[in-house]
Amino acid sequence: MKRILIAEDSNTMRSMLVSTIDELEKYSIVEAASGFEALRLLPREKVDLIITDINMPDINGLELISYVRNNPNYASIPLFIVSTESGDKDLEKGRALGANEYLVKPFDPVKLQELISKYLEP
Amino acid sequence: MSAEENIAKAVKDFLAEAEEILDQLSLDLVALSDCADGGECNPDLVNSVFRAAHSLKGLAGMFGLTEIAELGHHLENLLDALRLGKVELDQGVVSALFESTELLTALVRNAGQGGGEPVDLTGAMERINDCLTNKPKAAKDSPLAALNIPERVLGSMTEYEEHRLLENVKKGRRIYSIRVSLLLTNFDSELMELTDQLKQVGEVISTLPSASSGIDAGIDFEILFGSELATDELTPLIERDHLTVTSFGKQEKKGAPAPAAPKAAPVEAPVAALAPAAVESEPEPQPVNPADQGVSAKSMSRTVRVDIGKLDLLMNIVGELVLSHSMIAEVAAKMRRDGLILPGQQVAKAAKGLEKKLAELQKGVMEIRMIPVGQLFEKMTRIIRKISREQGKKVDLKLFGAETELDKLIIEDISDPVMHIVRNAIDHGLETPAARLAAGKDEKGTIVLSSFQKGNHVVIQIEDDGAGIDLGRVRQKAVERGVIGSPFEVSDKEALEFIFLPGFSTSEQVSEISGRGVGMDVVRTNIAALSGMIDLETFPGRGTRVTITLPITLAIIKALIITTAGRTYALPITSVLESIIVERKEIKTVERKEVIQLRETTLPLLRLSDFFELKGAGDIPDSFYVVVVGVAEKRLGLVVDDLLGQQDIVIKSIGETFAGFKGISGAADLGDQRTILVLDVGSVISEATRGSAG
Repeated sequence: MKRILIAEDSNTMRSMLVSTIDELEKYSIVEAASGFEALRLLPREKVDLIITDINMPDINGLELISYVRNNPNYASIPLFIVSTESGDKDLEKGRALGANEYLVKPFDPVKLQELISKYLEP
Repeated sequence: MSAEENIAKAVKDFLAEAEEILDQLSLDLVALSDCADGGECNPDLVNSVFRAAHSLKGLAGMFGLTEIAELGHHLENLLDALRLGKVELDQGVVSALFESTELLTALVRNAGQGGGEPVDLTGAMERINDCLTNKPKAAKDSPLAALNIPERVLGSMTEYEEHRLLENVKKGRRIYSIRVSLLLTNFDSELMELTDQLKQVGEVISTLPSASSGIDAGIDFEILFGSELATDELTPLIERDHLTVTSFGKQEKKGAPAPAAPKAAPVEAPVAALAPAAVESEPEPQPVNPADQGVSAKSMSRTVRVDIGKLDLLMNIVGELVLSHSMIAEVAAKMRRDGLILPGQQVAKAAKGLEKKLAELQKGVMEIRMIPVGQLFEKMTRIIRKISREQGKKVDLKLFGAETELDKLIIEDISDPVMHIVRNAIDHGLETPAARLAAGKDEKGTIVLSSFQKGNHVVIQIEDDGAGIDLGRVRQKAVERGVIGSPFEVSDKEALEFIFLPGFSTSEQVSEISGRGVGMDVVRTNIAALSGMIDLETFPGRGTRVTITLPITLAIIKALIITTAGRTYALPITSVLESIIVERKEIKTVERKEVIQLRETTLPLLRLSDFFELKGAGDIPDSFYVVVVGVAEKRLGLVVDDLLGQQDIVIKSIGETFAGFKGISGAADLGDQRTILVLDVGSVISEATRGSAG
């Protein structure tokens, strides 16, 4: 069973992401309500895909991406950003750091599902 | 849950979260308005307001609440400009922010009620746009280049963090890189402690994690920090193992206030040096970051988080007051007996009033401890989703009675046993989709979690429609283990009891999930520790039902005080069904057990003096008291010497030392300096019935 890590501080947004992924009935989900939680979960759970928000209180999504991409254990894990369009510059940085895809909130569930399938079921 | 229920729940969650966000937003705006006059604003505060608006907008968009999303978007733009320093904070901006927040609150309320007064947004949005267009601030130059901050740090800073870095540089603060290696197990608390220290003397701009270079199973953080302090002033404040401080660039302080006199101790030792015992100086008063004062100290919501220990303390005090009341009532009765009729009556009357108020107080404290079982169910939902996926089983989960309330501590303690049972249900109970189809069932298995109140107890049931427990296999295993001689020795019900024996597992392969040594024996012990009972029913081919019966609260209970062999015990009244007087000649012996006929049923008897192996118990007199106790469906008659009456008692733990004693759940103070033991009726019954099964 492939596993998806979601890092998102808003409970509602996180559960929207969870239920979108749940509809695919294929993946197990690990939820992190903050960047710190994501850092703590990464070594414990074998993760196949990461979905992260950018604006989070402890460490931001970009810092999480930087950590993942510079750590040989996780560097190859596909990573999506789900954030608002207001932070254009932040999205550019995310790309530069090695995020594979980004979705703008409010995200399109079908698009997210397609992207997940694209990366996890090549 | 069906799709509609999912959506309805999501909308409900959204509205709750939106209300919380808006409450916080209003409070933060008040603080923001205060510091708009003062000039300096805490960047954390502005950023937190921005994030609130940002979340609100994103969420509203997901639910198609276009008005909220649109206004939220405007609000977010203004706040974004504000936090990035593109707009100056003045009262005009503050009033535009207030106006939109009020409108958003009205919109959210309308969404919650499914209608309401239409809200006109154009004015508010225009005012926001005015703020954005009329206040262009000078384009910012970039003095960052001079600092030589590495790309790995700059590249992962959000636009906001970059802005904060610039602001710090403009103020003439020094910019430091603080690298620290921490353990993955506790990095968050350690890091929090460090950043708290740092925030006292400057601003934490960003926190970049990286794989640890120093410690195995560790994680490094590079904190970008702006402060007035010089390196040798900063370093001693935050020194700890695996921490280094580097300063970026060499800036001169432009018009910054003169630094405080250099602190005494010159720093020569490396940061990680062992602190010699000689350092005994008083902790220096920490400079207060003026920006910190901008954060509102007001509570963000109308709920209060309380340590359950404090409630326990309150409950104990209430319990002791109840005892004091009993003593006063006793005194009143004595006064009247001794001829002091009038004052006796007055005291009795006052005691009556006290009793009433005490009962209210007790109820109030008790209610604070109650939380809905739904919280437990929610946890289970996640676990079920996770395990069923991993096992490739399809599960339809049904929840009933999630609103039933139970003592918070009981819910905490019952989580693990319930989780174990749920795991068993999926792991051993439910068949694979293929096996289900072959058995003529729906390929989707069903698990039902339900809860309801039954008298003074709360019942939690976990039901599956799987294959049921293979009793043939249980018997065989019991024979293999020498528990019984032949499989035909025991009834189905008795065979089921074997599942609760330590180390008794019937699954063919030990699965990774449920077969990890924690058996049903531990589950039963844990439930018994809560004065609860567990019942198991299984229907071959149709499933298994586990019923857990728990007291609503553990803290304070009514008890029947009894004596046996000269000792006094308390029996929780919730498990006492009736007390009867029995003639000795009514006792019959069935299979070497004493029983009596009580109406239509045969009631097994237990002499408490035998159970506790008490010496000094005389022979049963011609007529004696029997207290009929029952938990769930099980009944037992306890033979006792005397009934001393009912009383409220506060159960206190008797500690680890006595934890292994079967049949005792705690101790209680009777108010006359006597401490007595409280019977754990559930475990007395199961011990007594187990005796008869084996």
